[in-house]
Amino acid sequence: MSERNFGQELLHTPGGVRDIYGAECASRLKIQQELHQVMISYGFRDIQTPTFEYFDIFSKEKGSVQSQAMFKFFDRGNNTLVLRPDITPAIARCVSKYDREEEMPIRLCYMGNTFVNTTPYKGKLQEVTQIGAELYNDTSSDADAEMVVLTIECLLKSGLKEFQLEIGHADLLRGLVEEAGFSEAEAAQLFELIESKNFFGVEELLDRLTVSEPLKEIFVSLSELQGSFDESEAFVKERTSNERVLKALDRLKKVEQIVAMYGYEQYITVDLSMLSNYSYYTGVIFRAYTYGNGEALASGGRYDGLVAQFGKDAPAIGAVIIVDQLMLALERQNLLVKEKLGGTLVVYPAGYREKAHHLAAKLRGSGKIVQLIRKSSGRELAQYQEYADRIGADDVILVQADTI
Amino acid sequence: MRYITFALAKGRLAKHTLSLLEQIGITCEEMKDEKTRKLIFVNEELGYRFFLSKATDVPTYVEMGAADIGVVGKDTILEAGRKLYEVLDLNVGKCRMCVAGPESAREKLNDGSLIRVASKYPRIAKDYFYNTKHQTVEIIKLNGSVELAPIVGLSEVIVDIVETGSTLKENGLKVLEEICPLSARVVVNEVSMKMEHERITKLVKDLKKIVSANQE
Repeated sequence: MSERNFGQELLHTPGGVRDIYGAECASRLKIQQELHQVMISYGFRDIQTPTFEYFDIFSKEKGSVQSQAMFKFFDRGNNTLVLRPDITPAIARCVSKYDREEEMPIRLCYMGNTFVNTTPYKGKLQEVTQIGAELYNDTSSDADAEMVVLTIECLLKSGLKEFQLEIGHADLLRGLVEEAGFSEAEAAQLFELIESKNFFGVEELLDRLTVSEPLKEIFVSLSELQGSFDESEAFVKERTSNERVLKALDRLKKVEQIVAMYGYEQYITVDLSMLSNYSYYTGVIFRAYTYGNGEALASGGRYDGLVAQFGKDAPAIGAVIIVDQLMLALERQNLLVKEKLGGTLVVYPAGYREKAHHLAAKLRGSGKIVQLIRKSSGRELAQYQEYADRIGADDVILVQADTI
Repeated sequence: MRYITFALAKGRLAKHTLSLLEQIGITCEEMKDEKTRKLIFVNEELGYRFFLSKATDVPTYVEMGAADIGVVGKDTILEAGRKLYEVLDLNVGKCRMCVAGPESAREKLNDGSLIRVASKYPRIAKDYFYNTKHQTVEIIKLNGSVELAPIVGLSEVIVDIVETGSTLKENGLKVLEEICPLSARVVVNEVSMKMEHERITKLVKDLKKIVSANQE
């Protein structure tokens, strides 16, 4: 190895994780803070859970990520541990543990990094920051709408202007499948096709299965049942009287009306073909999209059965914003405000140390940012000035005999 | 207006797609110049952009949102295993994904023995043997002329695209099992589908009409 390259191999991070520094780090922290502030203003209280937990907390129907996609390791007792792929189940565990008897609404919010062991060379991050909120013990459509509105307000607060939040209902397709009487394998196949919006495939599959004509019409037209909710609702209601389906439609309508009351109807669309990504969702589900990134940047949904798996029978709805996706969208849409460091550089020759420290304390006391730098005899003041410009500081003060 | 960007798999399929698009009023004169060295072609008036890429890269461009719409074979989509909306079957480039080999290998497919399978499509091969046939096999990834593998003894069978079967026949191989039918598909990025819902839905509907009309 040549001497020049010595140590260079230590500079790399593993694929899928990255450093966040400089101006990007500053604007990211600012946005995180703003989102957090929105959640706090809705009465959500902070909670922090560990970065790694027992595998069982996130396994199967409790989790959002397949077992193979989790980072796993063992503790000394040979228990399987995982880096959290998701935060919602951990908070459900906390609620079951610390608020076991509480029957009134509980609002909790969190911010933390999550980890997914993705396949390499696909351009996916393995560590992302999630900011989210969970509302327990409130089954009302008002609660559903509040989480949708909270998500919209967070996105607006971040500076995003053009985005769409799609709302669906996890029970809608489940109800239809139940009525059609499909086997589990058939339903899985159907869901896979609907998930990829492959409606010619849906038609082909239904031709092979026995299903009533009206139901088939619903499945095949699901892709077109977007936009005008009233029309879609009428279309479905004419063709089925399944209670789960009707209830789901009813709920969606109420949520849409409440969101409209907040004045945010332009940001939402109802998509009846929306499938829940995670098996724990039981009611309203939503996902937010914007220009500039290939995937959803926020999502959420009602999961009335999850907390019960930890021993407390509490309905719940949550929303989460993927900070990394949000930042990417803001950057690509040129909406990122460059954060300047600001503040003052106080440069002092060693002889004026005490003076400099007094000055710094005074300035800091009044809320200013102060960097103290002892002047090196080899450097001119101009060099400090140049440095201040480079890092984005406001001004430079050279401490002298007459400095007060 | 934002551009809607198309990623087209180079070759016959791209030509066919362009002619379909022309029939629904989306033209790209720039692209017809065979000598051009440009990589991306624009129809400013209608707000469309087009580029050609290797077929296997089309799902990547579309999943990441670098292209809104892609046109590519089902084989490539299955092998890529990416999250895409697959909205239309163009009904061209029809063929089948098959397990092929010498007749003598048929027995080994039925007795569940550990055989070697050569393929350009390791993911499809693995999914078929592990999840449909429940047979443990060793998969060997090749990059071309897969038919050679059973002839020279690299593997017992192959998993490959079969159109007419004549290449197989000339080399003493035959289709032993069929995995799935294949054809060219239109894929759409998840976010593009939401954000440009009207334009993309209209485009897909128009294409669908042309495709069904051509079939009759």
